[in-house]
Amino acid sequence: MSNFANQLVVAEREEMSRCIRTLLVRPLLTERADPVVFDLVRRRRDPLAHWFDYHCGWTLAVEPRLGYARLLKFNAEADASRPARRTRAGRAPFDRRRYVLLCLTAAELLSVPVTTIGLLADRVVQAASADEALSAFDTAQRAERVAFVDVLRLLESYGALQTVDGATDSFAESVEAKVLYRVDSSVLMRLLAAPCGPSRIAVPAADIPARFEELLTGLVEERRYGLPVGGDAADDAQPDTPLSPVRRNLWLRHSVLRRLLDQPVLHRDELSEAELGYLASPTGRQILRRAAEQAGFVLEERAEGFMLVDPDAIATDSKFPDDANHAKVAALLLLDVLNAAPAGCAPEQLAVEAERILDRFPRWGKAYRTEGGAAALADDAVRVLADFRLVRREGGRVVPRPAAARYRVTSATLKEEHPA
Amino acid sequence: MFRFTMGDRAPLYSAILQTFGDANERLVTALGLDDVREQLRGVGWFGALTDDDLTGALKALREWELLDVIQNHAENYRTAEEYERRNLQYSLTRRGEAAFAGVQHALSVLVSTGALQTAVLDAIADRLEELDRLAQDAASGDRRIFATLQELEGHLDALRGNTKQFNGELQRLLRTDGAELSTFHEVKGATVAYLQEFLTNLDQRAHSVSAAVARVEEHGPRTLWERALRGAELPPAGGDDPAAAWLARRQARWDGLRAWFLPVDGSPPRVEQLHHVARRAIVTLLQVLDRITESRRRSTGAVQDFRELARWFAAAPGEDGLHRLWATAFGLGPSRHAHLAHADPELVSATESWRDAPPVEVSALLRTSGRTERFTRTGRVRDVAALKAERAERARAERAELEAAWSLLRTESPVRLSRFGALDHEVFERLLDLLGRALAVRPDATGARRSVTGDGRVEVVLRPPADPQGAPAVLRTARGALSCPDYVIEVHTVGASGAFDVMDREVVAG
Repeated sequence: MSNFANQLVVAEREEMSRCIRTLLVRPLLTERADPVVFDLVRRRRDPLAHWFDYHCGWTLAVEPRLGYARLLKFNAEADASRPARRTRAGRAPFDRRRYVLLCLTAAELLSVPVTTIGLLADRVVQAASADEALSAFDTAQRAERVAFVDVLRLLESYGALQTVDGATDSFAESVEAKVLYRVDSSVLMRLLAAPCGPSRIAVPAADIPARFEELLTGLVEERRYGLPVGGDAADDAQPDTPLSPVRRNLWLRHSVLRRLLDQPVLHRDELSEAELGYLASPTGRQILRRAAEQAGFVLEERAEGFMLVDPDAIATDSKFPDDANHAKVAALLLLDVLNAAPAGCAPEQLAVEAERILDRFPRWGKAYRTEGGAAALADDAVRVLADFRLVRREGGRVVPRPAAARYRVTSATLKEEHPA
Repeated sequence: MFRFTMGDRAPLYSAILQTFGDANERLVTALGLDDVREQLRGVGWFGALTDDDLTGALKALREWELLDVIQNHAENYRTAEEYERRNLQYSLTRRGEAAFAGVQHALSVLVSTGALQTAVLDAIADRLEELDRLAQDAASGDRRIFATLQELEGHLDALRGNTKQFNGELQRLLRTDGAELSTFHEVKGATVAYLQEFLTNLDQRAHSVSAAVARVEEHGPRTLWERALRGAELPPAGGDDPAAAWLARRQARWDGLRAWFLPVDGSPPRVEQLHHVARRAIVTLLQVLDRITESRRRSTGAVQDFRELARWFAAAPGEDGLHRLWATAFGLGPSRHAHLAHADPELVSATESWRDAPPVEVSALLRTSGRTERFTRTGRVRDVAALKAERAERARAERAELEAAWSLLRTESPVRLSRFGALDHEVFERLLDLLGRALAVRPDATGARRSVTGDGRVEVVLRPPADPQGAPAVLRTARGALSCPDYVIEVHTVGASGAFDVMDREVVAG
């Protein structure tokens, strides 16, 4: 029988780690999208909620009957590499128009339980015209309707909207399209994850560009750590806002783990003195090690930084190295070039290398065969590398970061590559 | 006919018509220029008004055939002005009267509020009773009948008008949103209370009305109307006899009354629909109230948050700013991690540089041909996913075996051990485990040994052999045979299904 008990423990550990990693990659997990994992999350919601709260200070809300789980994941250092994407082939990132429409639509949806696409569009038109900071929403233009459709499809994918009758896409063709929606306002309410509501730090429209950074930090400001406004624990030396050791430790744990659990690599030069100190302390070390293990990650610690590697590739939206598209293959090959040049390369050099890559792979499609195609390929490849935080753009040059050395070519692989 | 209600002089026109209307009520049919000017004050027109304006207005009204002018040639006038002032007398034409009445009616509809009065129903029942009484009494005056009939029709009109208006108002009430919550609450709450009040006695009143209608029907309303016609003493009019039209109108009205309370064709009376409408309105009103309260309670902040964010997105600097705002505010982005790890991560020290540590194994095929191996060819790239899946599969299989073994061993009633006969080795091991557990405890007073597995899911009861001197039980598996006393065994599992049928088993064993 002990055999059976062991099985239970193993199963529990595997389920926990799978749930943690799935929630990291899909912070809004619906039952419709993945019934199997949702069922696991539902059953283990208490330990999971505790895990996220302890390690990251993130709230996990599981609504078994409504069929969704939401990890309110936020991060003070969110980068631009993971935009909202259109839910159609190509997965192009949202543009300004779509982001604005998304917010307006969500605001209008909150007050109705059921609506049609036409009525909703009318309300968004009114909302846009009522606010002089926004440009008008014109349903007569096809491009605007397509943007609106993209927004609705994204909301549908989150389960905030449910199509009862008709198809959202038909609105792109005609304003007269008939689509009936049921609105799940509880999901809508949970779309915003930042701990501080934007309406509480509202500023005049004219000031937004200048004070944008301030707004972003304002969004993630949390009172529980007793931090001064926009302050960093390490650099703060104000005598009148002392941090208690407990709160300080809590803050360090959360700020380090939030970034480690969300980002591909964390270099030491991105960490403050206090955070480095925490990671060097026995407690910090132990917590980091245990968190990685419980979540099913392999912790890789090196002189230059840390990374959590997910061998199952569950907790990642894309993989590197991978052959999913030409840019990724080119990225790996360009990384070899960059690894050989620690001082970095100019974009022109990379374009030349890309040219060579294109020569090597004559079967690659037309996309990069046009004038300037090589430069475009180099550009896309560098973006892939930057998204994985392996290179950095410094004064027009592309400079490899320490973690890039993980993927360098060894003599052994070279031998395989060029058999004598 | 209603042109006077349009344009910037409409108020003046309306005021003039109003003076004529008021004059009519005082039985003054014609007004001169000065009279009109004087009366205008009385109907609330205090604007500056020159003679030219007034004459112009009167002229316009004449052109629209709302006013008529009567001239008196009997007197002498010295000036044209005097002539105009004293000689020209204006009066309303039929058209003018109708137009004025129309506007008056429209205004009264606008200001009045619809109401359902149970009193109207009572009044209708009353008049019907009286009609019935008068009809049976030959001595009663025809005029009395006429007056009662008029009253009845008046009440019926009131009922119809009120219902129409009330229904309209109800629908408007259900449509409006965005009103101040407190007033909304108040108005709707009051309406609900009113409707409930109205509904409680509606049935009873409707019944008494329909009963009265039936009684009048018995005596034939036709004779009633003829007597009423005599009592009406219709004024003589040019052309054909008005009596036929009058009677037809009474018939139509009566039909209307019956449609409300006692339809001829037996269809549900309209007063019942009133019931439905009112009841539905109550439900809808309460739902709307709930929804408003709920949405206010839940989303005060969220709506503002989304609107504010829309503003931020509209003004965010650069494309990166947009995406960063999205990531920060919504936190819906996926995490991103490397997936290639060292085969044995423990080998590399944490203080070593990435540059010195051995690199992870990247598929060589990816570098040479731009593709990763879809099938692990020689295991150069360790496919952990497959391994994990395999392990999970094995674990699942083990658990399934365990469950299967238990369900196989489950017995519906006590059986002798010997009847298990031949067994799979795995099942046999489970059985042995159970026997071991049972034999480890002391027998109770009846000689039975009871034991439960560690997780409490299986209970085993072992009794001594019925025939101690009999042949020992022999259990065979693929790996050998066990011979032991022929205990009587019972195995119960909790929550498992698929009973082990010992009889079947015996056939196989035999």
